[in-house]
Amino acid sequence: MATGFKTWQCENCGFLYEEEFGLPAEGIAPGTRWEDVADDFICPNCGFAKSQFSMIEV
Amino acid sequence: MIPQQIAHTIVDPKAYAAEKPVDDAFTWLRREMPLAVAQPDGFDPFWVVTRHRDILEVERQNELFHNGDRSTVVTSKTADEKVRSMMGGSPHLVRSLVQMDNPDHGYYRRLTQPYFLPQNIRKLEPRIREIAKSFVNRMAEKGGRCDFARDIAFLYPLHVIMEILGVPEVDEPMMLRLTQELFGSADAEMSRSAPADENEGLAALMATIADFVAYFNKMTEDRRAHPRDDVASVIANGTVNGQPLGQLEAMSYYIIVATAGHDTTSNTTAGALWALAENPGQLALLKKDMPACMPLFIEESIRWVTPVKHFMRTATADATLAGHKIAKGDWLMLSYPSGNRDEDVFDDPFAFKVDRTPNRQVAFGYGAHVCLGQHLARMEMRILWEELLPRLHELELAGEPRRMEAAFVCGPKSVPVRYRMQ
Ligand code: HEM
Ligand SMILES: [Zn+2]
Repeated sequence: MATGFKTWQCENCGFLYEEEFGLPAEGIAPGTRWEDVADDFICPNCGFAKSQFSMIEV
Repeated sequence: MIPQQIAHTIVDPKAYAAEKPVDDAFTWLRREMPLAVAQPDGFDPFWVVTRHRDILEVERQNELFHNGDRSTVVTSKTADEKVRSMMGGSPHLVRSLVQMDNPDHGYYRRLTQPYFLPQNIRKLEPRIREIAKSFVNRMAEKGGRCDFARDIAFLYPLHVIMEILGVPEVDEPMMLRLTQELFGSADAEMSRSAPADENEGLAALMATIADFVAYFNKMTEDRRAHPRDDVASVIANGTVNGQPLGQLEAMSYYIIVATAGHDTTSNTTAGALWALAENPGQLALLKKDMPACMPLFIEESIRWVTPVKHFMRTATADATLAGHKIAKGDWLMLSYPSGNRDEDVFDDPFAFKVDRTPNRQVAFGYGAHVCLGQHLARMEMRILWEELLPRLHELELAGEPRRMEAAFVCGPKSVPVRYRMQ
């Protein structure tokens, strides 16, 4: 079983991307690592770019 | 050009109170003229952006579509001239995050942003739950009948945000009154003096702002002398580029937190209970599977009420939007209630469904200005419902609910209900 899932956060709006859960509504399967998320991904909550996310401890 | 009757409806506070005329106007616009210019008598022309996707398109381009260049809310020509003459040419009475663009917007937003992130807000959950419980007890003590808007929904988010800001409980009634005067300036029951005309209305608005400023000036002095762990201390002692906040900017910061920080959440809470009272099947569905339904119900409440009716943007350059040529300097109205009823995005948009999914509501906006308090708002509402719903057994309207007359921030001002509670 994969472990060490990380959480990434949009610096503009606080939206969380949790690798463990992915974003099925956006077509991103649970367990998808941040580096495997497409480069043109935008924050579903505010439209900011993938590069505006940073990793956080929760 | 949008027909005059529709143009008038979408700026008419009374039409927002009635809601149906506004819903009908925007439904017509989405179908016939989803992006077109309106010019109600006495107003400068503005584009009306009615579709979900066009709203996002404008909101995400924060350099092309500025907040601060013209008024951020739709304003008549007379009122605009008056504001500019009083404010040294500026179209704004305050300068909060809403009126700023980059670089200032980013600097000022980062000042309080950490406080409102989910990981910080989460720490407040136990305290907010205590507050929610006390309001639910209060509702139970009312003996089966209350005005849910006035007795509960106006007061609970008020108490939460005032604790966060650092305003003592004794001053909460005054904060509520000033907020309602600010957002309800067109509503005779809410405004300071039931103004007879626009000039009087503006004078009343200035007096309300002056009261806020007097209050928060004292607060600044206090927090500079005795900093605490509250948002007021962040504003009072914060720096932007190594300098303390400007006077206008600091006052505006307090004012936006002290107003936007509760009224919108109160409106959404009151509107959600109203919808549940009218849809017993939905209430039963929600109660049957609360944990699974809760996040969906919260999003649906926010979509349903959409308490912020619009914000304006100004084009900084010629642009193309949905095939139309927008000229530099053009003013655009982003209609959130219209975006949230867009038939291309929401199935059966005029139905209230506690388990609606997907639900990409735009009531918090989008882009750089997306609501700073959204995580707090969602959490507050979730906690209140978690405390209230298991104890609530019967619910029905006990009179005709009424909305405030306002074209900017608008929601229920009275929701009389009958209920049975444990
Ligand atoms: C259901 C409740 C709420 C709704 C519907 C709501 C809606 C909005 C909307 C539509 C905007 C403008 C977004 C844009 O221009 O794209 C906004 C901005 C803002 N909201 Fe909220 N809001 C709510 C609750 C709160 C709360 C609880 C706070 C508490 C602090 C808050 C503080 C703010 C602030 C400071 C801004 C300005 C952000 C900026 O311009 O950068 N709001 N809100
Ligand atoms: Zn975001």
